[in-house]
Amino acid sequence: MTVFKILLRIPWHLLLLAGILVLVGSLALYSASQGSWQPWAGRHAVRAIVGMALVVCLAFIDFSFIKRMSYVFLAAAILVLLAVIVIGTGQGVSRWISIGGMNFQPSEPAKLAVILALARYFSSQPHDRMRSFVWYLPAFAIIAVPFAMIVKQPDLGTALMLLFGGLVVVFSAGLPWQYVFGSLAAVLAAVPLLWLQLKAYQKARVMTFLNPETDVLGAGYQITQSKIALGSGGFFGKGFLMGSQSQLNYLPEKQTDFVFTMIGEEFGFAGNIFILLIYLLITIAILRISFRVNSRFAQLTCIGIGMMVFFYMFVNVAMVTGLLPVVGAPLPLISYGGTSMLTVFIGFGIVASAIVHDRRQS
Amino acid sequence: MFRAKTKDLRRTMTRRGLLLAGGSALLTSILGARLFQLQVAQNNRYQRLSDRNQFDVRIVAPTRGRLFDRKMRLLAGNAESFELYITPLYVDDLQQTLAALGQIVELTERDIKAVLLAARKGPSFRDIIVRNDLSQRELARLAVRSPLFGGISFGKSLRRIYPQGSLACHITGYVSPVTAREIERNQSLEKTPYLGTGKVGVEFAHEDYLRGLPGRERIEVNAKGQPIRVLRDVDAMSGKDLQLSIDVEVQLQAAEILRRGQLTPVELGTMQVQRALAKNSELRAHIALGDDLVLRDAKDRLVPPESGAVVVMDIHSGEVISLVSAPMFDPNLFTGTLLTRDWRRLNSHPRTPLLNRATSGQYAPGSTFKMVVGLAAIEAGVISKNTQFNCSGDMELGNATFHCWRKGGHGMMNITSALEQSCDVFIYKVALKTGIRKIKDMAHRLGLGDVTGIGLPGEKQGIIPSHEWKLANQGRVWTPGETVVSSIGQGYVLATPLQLAVMTARIANGKEAVTPRLVKSIGDPVSDFAPLDVDPYALAIIREGMLEVMNSGLGTARNYDLDKSLGGMAGKTGTVQVKRITKAQREEGIVNNIDRPWAERDHALFVAFAPVKRPRYAISVVVEHGGSGSSTAAPVARDILTQLMLKQG
Repeated sequence: MTVFKILLRIPWHLLLLAGILVLVGSLALYSASQGSWQPWAGRHAVRAIVGMALVVCLAFIDFSFIKRMSYVFLAAAILVLLAVIVIGTGQGVSRWISIGGMNFQPSEPAKLAVILALARYFSSQPHDRMRSFVWYLPAFAIIAVPFAMIVKQPDLGTALMLLFGGLVVVFSAGLPWQYVFGSLAAVLAAVPLLWLQLKAYQKARVMTFLNPETDVLGAGYQITQSKIALGSGGFFGKGFLMGSQSQLNYLPEKQTDFVFTMIGEEFGFAGNIFILLIYLLITIAILRISFRVNSRFAQLTCIGIGMMVFFYMFVNVAMVTGLLPVVGAPLPLISYGGTSMLTVFIGFGIVASAIVHDRRQS
Repeated sequence: MFRAKTKDLRRTMTRRGLLLAGGSALLTSILGARLFQLQVAQNNRYQRLSDRNQFDVRIVAPTRGRLFDRKMRLLAGNAESFELYITPLYVDDLQQTLAALGQIVELTERDIKAVLLAARKGPSFRDIIVRNDLSQRELARLAVRSPLFGGISFGKSLRRIYPQGSLACHITGYVSPVTAREIERNQSLEKTPYLGTGKVGVEFAHEDYLRGLPGRERIEVNAKGQPIRVLRDVDAMSGKDLQLSIDVEVQLQAAEILRRGQLTPVELGTMQVQRALAKNSELRAHIALGDDLVLRDAKDRLVPPESGAVVVMDIHSGEVISLVSAPMFDPNLFTGTLLTRDWRRLNSHPRTPLLNRATSGQYAPGSTFKMVVGLAAIEAGVISKNTQFNCSGDMELGNATFHCWRKGGHGMMNITSALEQSCDVFIYKVALKTGIRKIKDMAHRLGLGDVTGIGLPGEKQGIIPSHEWKLANQGRVWTPGETVVSSIGQGYVLATPLQLAVMTARIANGKEAVTPRLVKSIGDPVSDFAPLDVDPYALAIIREGMLEVMNSGLGTARNYDLDKSLGGMAGKTGTVQVKRITKAQREEGIVNNIDRPWAERDHALFVAFAPVKRPRYAISVVVEHGGSGSSTAAPVARDILTQLMLKQG
């Protein structure tokens, strides 16, 4: 395949949509630092450009190579997660490891590794096996091991996203409906057990979520302030750099987990809906690619990645609007934070490679 | 066939992919609906909340109530103290500014971290406290350089001070910053910049009365976060003042007399003393606490002041006029930031200065317990005033021999002469006839074995043993030998110096079960005490015996009576063995107290009431390892009462 052909087949519309989000993100971060490219907005834009270049590079990698390596990726991810538990850093939690001065959160790319490994597993199983539950058990193991390790860090938000991303692949692979509902019931039954595993601050977050007014200055502070900021934004917002909640520092973590709130305060309902639509478009665009590619591996991978991006957005927005407890989840491409952005761009790169090197396209 | 199956699978996947796409769209519209609800439907409500956020609420600390002595002299007050604040809004680089400030005032790593955390959490226009309790020097240095620092400001607040220093430390207790534990129990403490909360003593016991209620002011800020004006919402309500029954002057004299004991003060400056200090770790620990009293004992050795307790109380009103526990500590150490160095010194001090010996120190009462036995026996009709028993110097009971303190014995004794000469054998015999149950009952009526209810935290109740007590605590039955040992206030029996003072006050009062109190009664002392319910005839005999202790030619404290012109006193000595005397030691001859290590010497106790004719005061003295009750503790009581009576005129 010629370079020209490859460039032609790259899903540029994905990059365009991503570019819009990065632009919105940079503006929000510019506002978050009271009208300055320092310290966040400038670096955010630069990272995004590097990320987009990465997508193009990944498009040149043969997709069959990615398929061959998928178990290796999973093994590597698990090893790094293990390393985090041993040598990780963070305040009372170990989520990050430092590589050459850069903090890196391995639980993010682990999501991709799980999706690839699951896609590989299902694509290599003869179709008739897919009726028996036994053949789904290895798939659940692929999800469960990294899930448990991330819960242990503890990082409930990322762990749940990894779980959903993995389950979506299992679901798409054709898990019979009776098992789908059976598993749902099992999950509901496991909730009390999970509750016992939670750390005190995590329990506090859940309790606060259920009743935020009980502790307005403590654990409920973030969510209360976030709702005030969003709600006071109104339909068109208070205007760029004019959000008093954010500018006066009432809103915590406004450059990371609560960036959506800040955009809501300054650009209102219209600005927020715009972001939601862009995310939905990205998800649907990737799902559409999954319908077009030929191999089962490519299909499952694309569905997984598309839904992963969606879950990122959903968990974050649901959290800042008070629909979910504050679990600590970034809004990728908009939030300041390299690892989630990198993960999303690598995901796009894999999708690009899938469509570029698809048999049916040539 | 195979192809068809694969196609099926593919169709399933496509169907499910479409389902997921639909699901995503559905979830997105839920989010959209939620945003609509918050941003459009409830916009007005949140707009109002956001406006309210433009007011910052600041809590104003109330002034804590002061503590006075019975003549309105200040025991605990509030002094102005200065704090350094920083406003992140006006600071370019907070970290750098803090580092620069650290060059001028003392800032710990923890202070800096706390400021950075507060800056991250709160709105940027809110002042954050950097340091409290700035010294005059720091204040001057900062004032000169303040133009160099944008965003710093000074605040004035109150700090608790104890102008009498260590003198009333165990009575007032102290106030110190609110702890995490207290916040757990009382959430409202968290956001309130109180002076601190009482941790021990009256400061703790009357915390709610003294604390007051915080006020609130609102600071209006513009959209840029600059304060425009301050609105006072709620005025702070000061805590109420409290007048205590303590007399600082008596307290001072009592502390000095107790601490000096029978020792001679030395000049600290001389080379010889300095050399001796270098070798003596206990003395160094004592001096490190800021106490410069060093004394010389009869063997010419340098020693720290005596430790122990003195309680002086009014036998009618129950008011405690002096309550000394030595060694003492300076409560001012706790009010600001307690230095680890000071905390270590207080805790590693061999004589535990933080312990209030008067209410929480439990001592065997020794012979001062003999009054209890005597009263129980007379009341029960076991003996009368003239019932006599012979003291041959010891008493056989089963296989055991119980000795009298006097080797040769006292000869024929009755209850008054037995008190006067503190004969042990007479009391042994009387106690065996009376039985521990009646003795215990009398002890409780006199205030022993129960907390007195003076209202100081951590008060101990002592131990008055009985059949039931021993079964419950040791799982064994009571033996007559234990009645014998208990009758002279040893064995299991324990009492606090305060309880001994209460016992003496009740014996002197005769009518009411006086209980001690620290808070001065307003107006005429109204007695609301329960009746004492002890046979007045028995009390008269016992008081006569206590009088003989001071006056008879053989009385154990005959050399230490309060001057007759001041009314004289009636008392009882107590010398308590700390270490059991073995048979071998008894035969070899007992080593003199002064030749034993300090911790093995006897405790010296003395209780008394004065004046004899119309009793007014009761006193109890415990000198830890002081030697003998007569020669060490009695003169302490006499000297304190002399000062007290002289002031009465």
